[in-house]
Amino acid sequence: MKAMTEEIETDLATRIRAGLQDVIDPELGRDIVGLGLIYLIDASDTGEVRIVMTTTTPGCPASGFIVDAVRYAAQAVTGVFSVDVQLVHEPRWHPGMMEP
Amino acid sequence: MTGASISRWTMSYFAAALFFLLGGEALFAAGFGFPVLPIEAPETLVVVHIFAIGWLGLLFCGALLQFVPVLVSKPLHAPDLALHALLLLIAGLLCLVCGFVHLAGYFDGGLVLLPVGGMFLAAGFGFVVYMVGGTLLSARPIGLPARFVATGLVALTATAILGVSFALDLSGVIEASFLDQLLVNGLSLHAFLGLIGWMSVSAFGVSYRMLAMFLLAPEIDRRTTSAAWLFLTVAVLAVIVAIPVAAYGLDATAGVHAAIAIAIIAACLFAYDVVNIYRQRKRRSLELNTQMSAVAVGALMLAIGLFLFLSLSGTLASQIGALVYLIAFGWLTVLGLGQLYKIVAFITWLEYYGPVLGRKPVPRIQDLINERRASSWFYLYAGCVAASVLALLLEMPLLFRLAALIQLIAVAALVIELARTRKLSYVAIAPAADGENLQHPPLFLPTPIKRK
Repeated sequence: MKAMTEEIETDLATRIRAGLQDVIDPELGRDIVGLGLIYLIDASDTGEVRIVMTTTTPGCPASGFIVDAVRYAAQAVTGVFSVDVQLVHEPRWHPGMMEP
Repeated sequence: MTGASISRWTMSYFAAALFFLLGGEALFAAGFGFPVLPIEAPETLVVVHIFAIGWLGLLFCGALLQFVPVLVSKPLHAPDLALHALLLLIAGLLCLVCGFVHLAGYFDGGLVLLPVGGMFLAAGFGFVVYMVGGTLLSARPIGLPARFVATGLVALTATAILGVSFALDLSGVIEASFLDQLLVNGLSLHAFLGLIGWMSVSAFGVSYRMLAMFLLAPEIDRRTTSAAWLFLTVAVLAVIVAIPVAAYGLDATAGVHAAIAIAIIAACLFAYDVVNIYRQRKRRSLELNTQMSAVAVGALMLAIGLFLFLSLSGTLASQIGALVYLIAFGWLTVLGLGQLYKIVAFITWLEYYGPVLGRKPVPRIQDLINERRASSWFYLYAGCVAASVLALLLEMPLLFRLAALIQLIAVAALVIELARTRKLSYVAIAPAADGENLQHPPLFLPTPIKRK
């Protein structure tokens, strides 16, 4: 049962991650997952989701829009009940975090 | 915490700045002021202040109001003062220019406009210092790039105070010997504090962060950067200390020379850092704004070389116009225009597409511009700056005026490109306005940001 729950959680997180690939960083033109801006997707079996993310630079005027977009895209995934998005700048994002 | 921050009046600052740039270039092309007339002629003062305050001053104020909150991750302090500052600066400049036109003998009765303009300008710049300085203070301890801006604000304050004292003296409103002495001995201090202490130092600080952001280079607090900031702060303070010396009637040249020497070392450190930022970048292709930044830093290095050459050849005094021109137009204007091209697209994207990000297909910021079209105008402008410097050095005013005319055309073409960006003319993705109640971004007036 425990293993199955973890599998469901992992599946939900994976689907959320896939959904977030539609959200781009407007300056770089790449999706925020590939840029390494999503630090954590924590999805409970009841559909409560916590996403920890960053932006390429602190104080970016686009931050609010990107956070809103992440919340919206995550909420659109089937099985998601609520979404809490936390914007952090520790650890600080650096270009090495991008997927090749 | 997550609120997007767009300085509402920044686009208006930029529009006003471009208006004065076009006006100044037109005056150059028409042969109004230097180099057709002497550098100290009132007509030259008209043109110099149109460029220094109208173009560069408004450009830098608008950019700082937008970018300093990004630098320190804090909202702009007292943002409602931005419009007041803009109106005061424009009104002050127009009064000041009318005062200089009076001095040139074109009409009578305008002398009082000099101190009135000076007061307006001091108030306008004071508001900007209050907004930007308050933002920096709210974010203490501030990072290295922001410290450059803080030093720049000190220099701006001193520049404005000197400017007001010159205006009071020239107008005769206040008769005091120390004002007379300051006018005679303090012009180089005023020029250094404005061109180097405020604008160049602020441009250094903003460039460190902007270039790292746009080039995807690591943001490192390099020792060379710390040293550059320290040197520049010392240079600014040295010139400020020289102000009372000049007012006392003593020669302040030594203070200015020392400050220039220190600033040259700092500028070289800055250029070294910039080269490293470009070398360490993850973004392989250079966008137009970062190409122009490289051209601008190259012009700054050329200016240093020219300064050394003129100093060693004993022709600095006679060729100072060419040197100042290279700094103002090769370094500051090319840098400013290049970044303006990027910032306008960025702000336009935020205003129009930010609210629907993640909900609808949106273009990239690069999709709002046409670099192929703009790059030819940018390089034409930069080439004409080089031609203008040569014309000044070779004392060929007709060539200078011709180059100014072409610059005027290039800037006008770039203004059209910026307007096309604002009008979303290059965006292939249809504007996503269905049911979103999105408004087309106005050309240069503010739009309230609507968040979903």
